[in-house]
Amino acid sequence: MGAEDESASLRVEEDPMIPTPSAQDPAPSLGLELLMSGYQQADEQAASALIDRVSPLLLRYFWVHAFHRGDAEDLLQDTWMRIHRARHTYRKGSPVLPWIFAIARHTGLDHYRKARRVEIREMQVDPLPEIAHPPSDLPPGGSDGKIAELDAILAHLPASQREVILMLKVTGMTVEEVARATASSAGSVKQKAHRAYQKLRVVLGREARDK
Amino acid sequence: MRKDEIDRILDQAVRDLPSGDDRAAIGHVQRAILKDLKPARPLPALWVFTLAFVSLFVAFAVASASTLGLHGIRVLSMGQRWSIFSLLLFTGWLAAVSSARAMRPASGMPLGWLALVSAGGAFPVLFALVFRGYGTLNFVHEGVPCLVAGLCVAIPTGLATVWILRRGFVMDWSRSGLGAGVLAGLTGLFMLELHCPNLKAIHVMVWHVAVVVVSGMAGFAIGMIADHFRGRIPERSTRP
Repeated sequence: MGAEDESASLRVEEDPMIPTPSAQDPAPSLGLELLMSGYQQADEQAASALIDRVSPLLLRYFWVHAFHRGDAEDLLQDTWMRIHRARHTYRKGSPVLPWIFAIARHTGLDHYRKARRVEIREMQVDPLPEIAHPPSDLPPGGSDGKIAELDAILAHLPASQREVILMLKVTGMTVEEVARATASSAGSVKQKAHRAYQKLRVVLGREARDK
Repeated sequence: MRKDEIDRILDQAVRDLPSGDDRAAIGHVQRAILKDLKPARPLPALWVFTLAFVSLFVAFAVASASTLGLHGIRVLSMGQRWSIFSLLLFTGWLAAVSSARAMRPASGMPLGWLALVSAGGAFPVLFALVFRGYGTLNFVHEGVPCLVAGLCVAIPTGLATVWILRRGFVMDWSRSGLGAGVLAGLTGLFMLELHCPNLKAIHVMVWHVAVVVVSGMAGFAIGMIADHFRGRIPERSTRP
C-alpha cells in the first residue's frame, strides 16, 4: 500500500473530535475561524467559545505528549498565553487548528528543553523514592490508564512519527493541516505516517502473536 | 497485521482517552484571557513583509555601495551583471520569504537553510564561471577589507530585519536568525558586487561569499542564544 493511500485514510474529517457546543454556547453555529476573528476583535463571547472548544483538544494532545496531568494543564495555560500574544498574526479565513497547534507544538518543545536543562543540572545525592503508581502499573480502566495505553502504542515510534500520528488521530487535522502545524510538507507528513504504520504493523503484529 | 487493524487499535485508544473537558483548567484560561482582552490589529499578508524585506535588502545594498563608490558594477560586463544580480535577487527573495514566514505560526516550511545552501553553493559556481584568476598574491590583504565592509553592511540590515520580525510572533529564533542572517549577508554581498572592482575569481569566491556564510551562521548562533534565554524566563502564568 502506498503512502498516499495510507495517510488518506488517516484523515478524521467526519469526527474532528471538537466537542459539540453546549446549548449555552453563545455562538453555536460559528466555525473556529469566525470565533478566532471575533477573538482578534476582542469579542468576549467568541474568545470564551474558542477556548471552550479548542482547550479539550489541546489537553488531550498534551496528555499523550507530556503524560502527566499537571504538566498538561501548565502547557495548556502556557499555550493560551502565547496564543493571546500571537493573536494578531492569525490571518482571517485561514484554518485555525494548524495555527494553534503550531504554537502548542513549540510550547511543548520549550517545555521539554526546559525540563532537560533542569534534569542535567540536578545532581542526584540520594536514591530516588519509589513511585507510588509508576505509569506502567496504572489501572487500565482509569483515564490515566487509557492515556498510558495510547502512550505505550506510540512509544515504539520515533518522536517525529509519533507527533504526526498524534496530530492526525488526536486532533483530527488533515495531512495538509498537520504539515502546516509542523512546518513541513504534506509529502513529508504522509511519508512519516506511512513509516509509522509500517513500524506499528511489525510491533503490534509481534505482540498479538506473543499473546 | 493489516492497516485497518492498526487503524482500529489507534482509533479505539484515542476514543478511550478522557474527553479533555477539564472545567477548572479551562476556566483559569478563560478568566486570564478575558481579563486582558483588547482588539488586535491583524498582521498584513506575508507578501507585504516579503516585499518589505526585499526592499530593505536592495535599499541597504544600493545606498551603502553608492556611499562607497560604484566601482564594481562599472567593470562588470553585461552578461556578468545580468547573471550575478539575477542570482542575488533570487536568493534575496528566498531569504525574504523565509523571514516573512518566520513571523506567523503555521505559515509554511522555513527556507533559511535552503537560502544559505543556495547562496553558499550557487555563488561560488557562478563566480567560477564568469571570473578568471586564481593567483593568491595579496589574497588575505585584499580580502579582509571586503569581508569587513560586507559585514558592516550586514549588521544594520540584520538589525532592521529583526525589528520587522518582532512585529510578528517568532516561535523559533534560531531558524529566524538564520534567515535574517542570510538576508543580511546577501545585502553585504550585493554591496560588494556593486562596489568592489577586484574581479579575481578566488577573491570573489572566498571573501565575498564568506560574508553570506558568516552572517548566516552568526544569525543562527544569536537566534540559538535568544531561544536559550527565552526558555529561562518564566512565562506569565494564567493561574489565579
